[in-house]
Amino acid sequence: MKYNRTELGDNIGFSAIIDDKFKTNSLLIRFITGLDSKNAADNAVGIGILTNSSSEYKTLAQLNEKLSSLYGASLSSGARKRGDIQVLHVSSSWINNKYAIDGEDITSEMLGIICGCIFSPNASEGSFDNESFRIVQKELIDKIEAEINNKRGYALSRAAEFAFSGEPAENSCYGTKETAGKVTAQSAYQAYKNILENAQVEIFYVAPEENPAVEQRLKNEFSAISRSHSSVKFYAPSKIKEEALRISEEFDVRQSKMVLVFKTESDDCHAIRLLSTIFGETPVSKLFMNVREKMSLCYYCASRVLFAKGSLSVDCGVERDNIEKAEKEILHQLDEIRSGNFSDEELSSALMSIDNTLTAVGDTPSSYSSWYFERFCENNIVTPEQQFEAYKAVTRERIINAAKSLSLDTVYLMLNKEVQN
Amino acid sequence: MEKNILTSSRTGDQCIHVKHSSGLDVYICEMKGFSSVEALFGTKYGSINTRFRTSGDADYTEVPEGIAHFLEHKLFENEDCDVFELYAKTGANANAFTSFDKTCYLFSCSKNYQDSLKILLDFVQKPYFTKESVNKEQGIIGQEIQMTNDNPEWRVFFNLLRCLYHNHPVKIDIAGTIESIAQIDADLLYKCYNTFYNLNNMVLAIAGNISADEVLEICDQCLKPCEDKGLESVFPDEPSEIVQPEIRETQPVGTPIFNIGYKCAPCSGRERLKKSMAASVAAGIITDASSDMYQRLLNSGIINSTFGAEVFCGDGYFSVIFSGESASPEKVRDALAEEMEKISRGGLEEKDFQRIKKSTYGILIRELNNVESVANLMINAHMDGVKPYDAIEILSELTSSDCTSFIRDELSADKLAMSVVEGAVQ
Repeated sequence: MKYNRTELGDNIGFSAIIDDKFKTNSLLIRFITGLDSKNAADNAVGIGILTNSSSEYKTLAQLNEKLSSLYGASLSSGARKRGDIQVLHVSSSWINNKYAIDGEDITSEMLGIICGCIFSPNASEGSFDNESFRIVQKELIDKIEAEINNKRGYALSRAAEFAFSGEPAENSCYGTKETAGKVTAQSAYQAYKNILENAQVEIFYVAPEENPAVEQRLKNEFSAISRSHSSVKFYAPSKIKEEALRISEEFDVRQSKMVLVFKTESDDCHAIRLLSTIFGETPVSKLFMNVREKMSLCYYCASRVLFAKGSLSVDCGVERDNIEKAEKEILHQLDEIRSGNFSDEELSSALMSIDNTLTAVGDTPSSYSSWYFERFCENNIVTPEQQFEAYKAVTRERIINAAKSLSLDTVYLMLNKEVQN
Repeated sequence: MEKNILTSSRTGDQCIHVKHSSGLDVYICEMKGFSSVEALFGTKYGSINTRFRTSGDADYTEVPEGIAHFLEHKLFENEDCDVFELYAKTGANANAFTSFDKTCYLFSCSKNYQDSLKILLDFVQKPYFTKESVNKEQGIIGQEIQMTNDNPEWRVFFNLLRCLYHNHPVKIDIAGTIESIAQIDADLLYKCYNTFYNLNNMVLAIAGNISADEVLEICDQCLKPCEDKGLESVFPDEPSEIVQPEIRETQPVGTPIFNIGYKCAPCSGRERLKKSMAASVAAGIITDASSDMYQRLLNSGIINSTFGAEVFCGDGYFSVIFSGESASPEKVRDALAEEMEKISRGGLEEKDFQRIKKSTYGILIRELNNVESVANLMINAHMDGVKPYDAIEILSELTSSDCTSFIRDELSADKLAMSVVEGAVQ
């Protein structure tokens, strides 16, 4: 594997990751901007339109017809949240030219299509094409409304809203149904222009062989844009509430959900990650072995770290009558780690689990681009091997201190209506 | 033991098949340049296998719904420890799943695959069930059932199956119900285990950073020879007609979600792969974002980009299911019925067929780009009675008239049912 990152211009990074084992080429362009309730929906629509049509392919039908003729090449766009920032992306993948039955140069064609979509969108006079706009706006509203379909994800999102109240991370990366409804073809276009001119850009090209034309074409396209230098805060720990906030909401569901959000002022990211692995990230973790296996309270009970906000959350699906019992046990298991009650086996198995995950980086094109993007956000470009050395250096003491540094900040409950007293 | 090398003439990809002396079918794909390993050890035993006997049994045994899934959970407990504790010593990420027609135990790792493989082969061959451990699992699985009951995509799908199938057990929930799992005890679990977890009914598929010789050596050490007991799973007669044309359920959801399914004639082996390929390309043409119907429905706000289709088939069942979100799912159903009639009369456009065929080829190539999907490809192919690279070969022979014939013969309006999950009216 060969990794090389160059700067294509002000705040524009281009990472080429060349690995001859792959049968596909992938190009991922990330636009990074502050998450703001005022323009989150405009940004999401603006990025969405780019892969719906372009000045060359005026409708989704035309664009899609072209992509399917190129062996079902994928082209999509979207938004996601990472702490206080909104990450917008245009992503594409296609089979390598050597698998083209009719000898087509798929890579050149895809490069042209992607650049056309981003730099020459279906727009005129400061406004996106109305038909494309209408479809993408409806998509966004449907997506926002459909968040409730996934009850676990919905509970986590609601918990984040309350835990990070008053901070950018309280917002959804899609905006709200109301703000999405107010987006216009003009405001979405303005948002698109703003992203192109001001967002930080990180580009990842993962392919079996080098192709300087990709970098050159993107460099040329971006050089035609007048860009300003702006930067975002990738790490913005959340303020810890003096007293834990408890919120419950009723829904017409069969199973209740509980989310506990803890916060920390510690910046020892490796110790916190190891702590979370021991606490609730594997089937031998304390939460799995006790809350699930010993007490049979839950099917899932797991922890995860959102280091960008200095938080760790635990979520589970549980009978309403067992909520108190589950919360008590979750807190008890955290206390166990705080007291140093975890074995050397638990620590070494957590390390081995992390080692296995890190060693597998590079087995898919997306794992490469995620890895190097996250390291970019942390301003620490290291290999998975180097990262593992940092984990190995974590002592028991650091894990105990990380556990002690966690304060319970927010408890969110999605309650089953039917069993309400 | 003879090593059969299976090769894709289109891509040059290769894997090895060995019929192990223990009775187990073993598929191995050495993937140069990859770091990780994916292994699946599976049995042809899923939620649909509720009635069976072996050559030694006088009568058929009927078991409670959800028992295959329950057994999967319980196998992770050994007599002396939890299997996850063993995997914790290798760092592998272990899991298992039960589907309609199979149960698979798996791990993925990038180090110590030999030790993890030994654990996998060993624990699946060592059942240990007690009254206490069975009782304990009922609480955990009860929560899993409640979780899936709150999942509208799951509900809309199973409601559709209940509209399509009168008797076939494909209509029952994979995990069963709170009531059905209450009937499960240790004796029943042993009965099912001894019937279906016979190596002659099982397969191992392993792909990634491995050596075939090492894998076979570990198989030699760990596999206990099994006598083929002539297992026979039977399914009740299933009429070709559907049960009811429509079903609706209320749940907290955004835009109503729908599954619209056509009940088709079941078949097996290579014939099923060929039919599912024709069905998949036909459905791909209909749901393609470039198609007239898609554009009409999208532009009038009836569908969004979640609209798609899948072919759902196995022993005794075959259906094509269109799914998505819509405030007017009945308009989608009517449009589909109209489209099928139009294609049945006039056939498919050759250029559309060629485009979607190419696109499907691209999807199959991508499958070979990933350790996990290659391991799954091998085990699924074996369970379906075909070879791992057959799909690419069959696709290359597919014609537009195969797809038109499939639509004309199988996708008729009287075989159509619709399931909708919608939010409560405020």
